[in-house]
Order: sequence, then structure tokens, then C-alpha cells
Amino acid sequence: MKIVIDWDLCQGHANCTGDAPEVFFVDDDGKLHVKIPEPEESMRDMVELAASYCPTNAITIEG
Amino acid sequence: MSLQTNGAVKKVPEKARTPKKPQGRLPGVASGAYPLVGHGIEFATNCLPLLWRAYEEHGELATLKVFNKNIVLFTGPEAQEAMYRQPDEILSPNEAYEIMVPVFGKDVVYDAPPERMNEQMAMLRPALQDKRMRTYGEIVALETRRALSEWGAEGEIDLVEFCAALTNYTSTHCLIGREFRERMSDEFSKVYYDLERGITPASYIHANLPLPSMIRRDRARERLMGMIGEIVDERTKSGTQGEDFLQTLMDARYKDGSALSRHEITGMLLAAMFAGHHTSSVTVAWALIELVKHPDYLDRVLAELDSVYPEGTDVTFQSLRQIPLTEYAVKEALRLHSPLWILMRAVVSTFEYGGYTFEPGTWIANSPWVSHRLPGVFTNPMAFDPDRFGPGREEDKKQFTFVSFGGGRHKCLGNAFALLQVKTIFAILLRGFSFELLHNPIIPESGLVMGPKKPFRVRYKRLRPNGAF
Repeated sequence: MKIVIDWDLCQGHANCTGDAPEVFFVDDDGKLHVKIPEPEESMRDMVELAASYCPTNAITIEG
Repeated sequence: MSLQTNGAVKKVPEKARTPKKPQGRLPGVASGAYPLVGHGIEFATNCLPLLWRAYEEHGELATLKVFNKNIVLFTGPEAQEAMYRQPDEILSPNEAYEIMVPVFGKDVVYDAPPERMNEQMAMLRPALQDKRMRTYGEIVALETRRALSEWGAEGEIDLVEFCAALTNYTSTHCLIGREFRERMSDEFSKVYYDLERGITPASYIHANLPLPSMIRRDRARERLMGMIGEIVDERTKSGTQGEDFLQTLMDARYKDGSALSRHEITGMLLAAMFAGHHTSSVTVAWALIELVKHPDYLDRVLAELDSVYPEGTDVTFQSLRQIPLTEYAVKEALRLHSPLWILMRAVVSTFEYGGYTFEPGTWIANSPWVSHRLPGVFTNPMAFDPDRFGPGREEDKKQFTFVSFGGGRHKCLGNAFALLQVKTIFAILLRGFSFELLHNPIIPESGLVMGPKKPFRVRYKRLRPNGAF
């Protein structure tokens, strides 16, 4: 599983950091950091949750 | 006006795609333009038929002439993506928001130099970020129950007025804080009303004219700055901290270490209020109207709410994610009755699309109202069919098709807050009361935000006592 971010769309809402704190981090400037770009299968549920609730649909999961 | 005759999204004719166009040539001009004013009068008074006609006549790209301005409408997922993905250096929202400067204030947000604006936007962001968002649901629930506690066993209300008052309380409570909310008087409503009424179609001609509405608007802003200033003073003196956006702004610092002035704090609070208040208010009204008109779907929503919220259950951030049917209904209301029916950008450096070259000075626009009625994009687009957002169909899945909140880097920052707020209101309202519409037909009122025209009376009947929903 690979996380792809559409950087034209991300606005730093940080909803993903609430759903998958191990994977996503947003710094004080509102910039998103993907801490684990290729998470383990066991994290799929929370990454999918983060992707589905992203207000700008900036997160896609490949594989 | 025929709205249902169209086939799939119309493409630019092949001929128009050849690149050898003379620079500055614009796509086809919609019919009905007069000398000098162009489509100006129709644009200001009855815009929706004009927008649809422009699309029917010319498809993906069509030009409107509004006084001396050329506005090119971009329609269809491909064109919308091209528009919304442009960086500010090419398409800028700033000029389009110039009409708001008298309310937000000089040098605030869209009127500030780009660097300053970015710093201010970064200060706005925490108010709508995840951490704070998780607390807003409770506040919205509290305000909704409070407003409904005054209702009797049955009665009549003006739906538009009720929604406006309720969302005024929710947004002030969430943004400016509890003290301000508790002190909200008729004066605040009046001041806010004067601010709203100070932005008229005339503002597009010039933002500052010696009109009574504009003079009242400027006085109202002064007064509001005083009201917010009082709270800032009290908090500073007593050392109390609020759990709200006002506090975030009081604590915010520019990179050079300086704090926001009262003028700036007031302007940024107003920017957030203006963006979120009226838009959410009409969304509640439209969604309720559509649900009452579609009792079969309403029954499914009620069954969903009853199972997630047995008597007396609190509305929580988590539980709001377990009511998809309610969410689809809200989104469907937003699709059919997008509160913002046109979104604009100004060309600031030359940009090409569809074989045309757009020069600085031209405006590019997208109408969610038109885009949401494209049969190639939405199945049976004129029908209220919330299931289109459900599993297996997901008609909004493709980026840049559902554009009620715009798209790209300037997509509405309050998108998630808006959905959370409207779902919370429905989770409570629909379990407490049933409704009957007393108006037919329902006429949309065009203004900056498109809501049902007032008066709009509805009859309610209580289903449960206070405290049981």
C-alpha cells in the first residue's frame, strides 16, 4: 500500500492526523508530512478513514 | 428555460482547439448582450438562466460580457480542473473578493500583500483544523437544542429566518466564543445585518459609494470592532483564556513577533463568519425542504438517526460519521442548491486552455449551479437522489465534479466544519420534530448566497419532549 498526496489540493486541515496519527503529521505552517509513505497492511483501515474524510480529497491509496 | 435538454458535456469544437488563434481572442459570447452593459443587467438580476444559456450555446467555454469585463465560464470536469488547479500567480481569487474589503477591512486577508495574507491564513487555519473541529459538534448540538427548546407542541416558523438565527448562534459561539454568545443581543443581529446588506450588486461597480447601505455597513463594522474589543480587553485584564477562535487570533503572532491589531482580529473573525454563516444557513433550509418533499428518503434518514441516536444520546464527532444517509442528503441539497452559484478568479498572467489564450484582465468563472446539472457527470441531474453519493455510485468521487466548496488550493477551508454543523443540526432537529411546507413553488432568491426566498413558512409538530432528542 502506497500513499499518494495531491499537493495542489492539500490545505493542511490535519483531519488525517486525527484518524491516522502514526502516518500523517501537519506542522505549524500547515504543511503535511507523510511519516510512513508505504504503511503496513495492518494500518489500512485508518489510512482509508483518513483518505475518505480528507476535506480536499488530497489523499489516494495505491495498492 | 429548459434545463434538461442536454446530452453529455459539450466539448470545444475541434476547430477551436487549433493553436493558431490570435492572442486575446475569447470563446463564444453568450446571446443577449447589449451595447455597453453587455450581460450586466441580466447578470446582476437574473443570473442563472444566463449561465445555463451560455453553457447550452457554447459548451465548455463561454464568454459573458459584464459591463467592461469579460468573464469566461469554465464548465465540465476537465475545464473545472484546469481552472481550480492554477496557482495564484496565474489565476488569483484576490481581485474577485475585492467587494469584501469594506467588511473584512483594509490590509486584511484578500486585501493584504501575498506574504502577509499567507501569514494571516495560517492563523485562521487552526480554527478549522482537526483538534478544534472535534469540539465544535458539541457546541452546535447545544445551540440547536437551546433554539428548539422554545418550540411548543406545534406551530409555524419562517424556515429561512430560523436557520439564519440558529447558525448565527452556532458560528458566533464556535468562533468568537461563549462570553460573546451569551451577551448577544438584538444589537449584534442588527449590526451583522447591516454588514451583510452593505454588500450588493452595486459593490461590483465600486465598493465604496455614498449609498445609505454602504454608510450603514461602515458604521456597523466600527461598532462590531468595539464589541469584540471589549472581550479582548476583559480577557487581557483578567488573564482568562477562551476555547475559541478569538483566543487563537489573540495569541497569534506574525513572523516578526507582532500581534494582530483589533482591526485585523475583527476582520478575520468577520471573514470566517461571512464565509460560513449564510452558506450553512441556507444549506440547512434547502436540505430540510428537499427531505420533506421526499418522504421515502426522509424515512430512511429517520431510521438511521434512530438507530445511531437512541433517546438522549449525545451527538459526537465519531457518531456523526455513522450517518451516511443524512450526509448524502446534505450533499445532494448542496449539489442542487449550491449556496455559491458562481466562483471567480482573475487572470493575472497569461494562461492557455482549450486552444485559447487568456490575458490578464479577463476573469475566469465556474458556476457550481451549472456544473452540478451536467448529465454526463451526474445521472438524472435534476432529480433529488442522495443515493448517487452512496457505495457503488459515488458520483462525486472524481475530483472537480462536485464544486459547491470550489476546488484546489482555495477550496473552502470550512468544508468539513460546514458538513459537521449541518449534520449535527439534522441529527437533533429531525428526531425532535416533523415538518410540513406551507410554500409552493419554492423560489430561489439570488444574492451573493442563494437561499429560498423569504417568507418561507413551515409548520412543525413535536415528536418528543425536550431532552429526549
